[in-house]
Amino acid sequence: MQVTVNEESLQLTPGTSLQGMLAQLQQDKPGVAVALNQQVVARSQWSQITLNGGDQITLFHAIAGG
Amino acid sequence: MLSDNEFLRYSRHLLLEDVGEAGQLRLKNAAVLIVGLGGLGSPAAQYLAAAGVGTLWLADHDLVDVSNLQRQTLYDIGSLQHSKAETAREKLLQLNPEIEMIAINQRLDADTLGDFVAEVDLVLDCTDNMATRQAINAACYAWGKPLIIGAAIRFEGQLLALDPAAGHGCYRCLYGPDISERLNCSNSGVIGPVVGTIGLLQALEAIKWLTGTGTVPLGQLKLFDAKAHSWQTLRVPKDPGCPVCGEKNASHSQ
Repeated sequence: MQVTVNEESLQLTPGTSLQGMLAQLQQDKPGVAVALNQQVVARSQWSQITLNGGDQITLFHAIAGG
Repeated sequence: MLSDNEFLRYSRHLLLEDVGEAGQLRLKNAAVLIVGLGGLGSPAAQYLAAAGVGTLWLADHDLVDVSNLQRQTLYDIGSLQHSKAETAREKLLQLNPEIEMIAINQRLDADTLGDFVAEVDLVLDCTDNMATRQAINAACYAWGKPLIIGAAIRFEGQLLALDPAAGHGCYRCLYGPDISERLNCSNSGVIGPVVGTIGLLQALEAIKWLTGTGTVPLGQLKLFDAKAHSWQTLRVPKDPGCPVCGEKNASHSQ
């Protein structure tokens, strides 16, 4: 199945979790935040969410500067 | 009532149907706490002072450093090594002597924030570190005060407005304690107008909130990519287990 990550296409095995996708992309690291279809997903939920074809994933970083 | 001087000073507000005399009086009667008087807090404080917000609490523990002058528009070479809070107050009094300003020359933390948050109608988070950001979020939820958060590094900005009375998530739902502060202006750099843009938007949303104008994007994280000049909007849902805004702590809100 195909999803988009920051507007780029990505092929995933059906049934892949959000956590699994992040691990595959080596993005399951501190400072990374994620939104699924324009809704932020708390880190505690990453492993519980199974992705669907067509999902839009946004990866962004926590920033604290001011 | 507005004075004759105030009618002249705020005439461009008074011309606006959405603000008018009633809106200007709401600004005059409002108190806002600005935590952090750097690249975000400088323009935010300048625009809120100019707009006639009646009482500004200006908090920063730091001294002005020469590396601040690239983006922190409140200061000049005469300010070097002076207190940011005191300098900001002096500069802003030159801009608008009609309003009251209190300089807080100390680092606010979980123990001290509550005393100040309790005094104001709205808080702007213009700080530069995650620990203080979490403490401000918790204090605003404990006291039921709206919070407008800004952050910027490099060519990126983030803006998030929160109302503890609304059903959206809070800063703790967005960034948990496991998200450490890795990126700040000191180690990553920042382009001045990016941090200025976010600070200005904090002031804009504060004025909208205080005057009841338009729609403040509550619970919506706005991501600004300055290189592409693009904005994204992400909803921040409530994390049911959140120790700050979750159900079990609902009674803490006032």
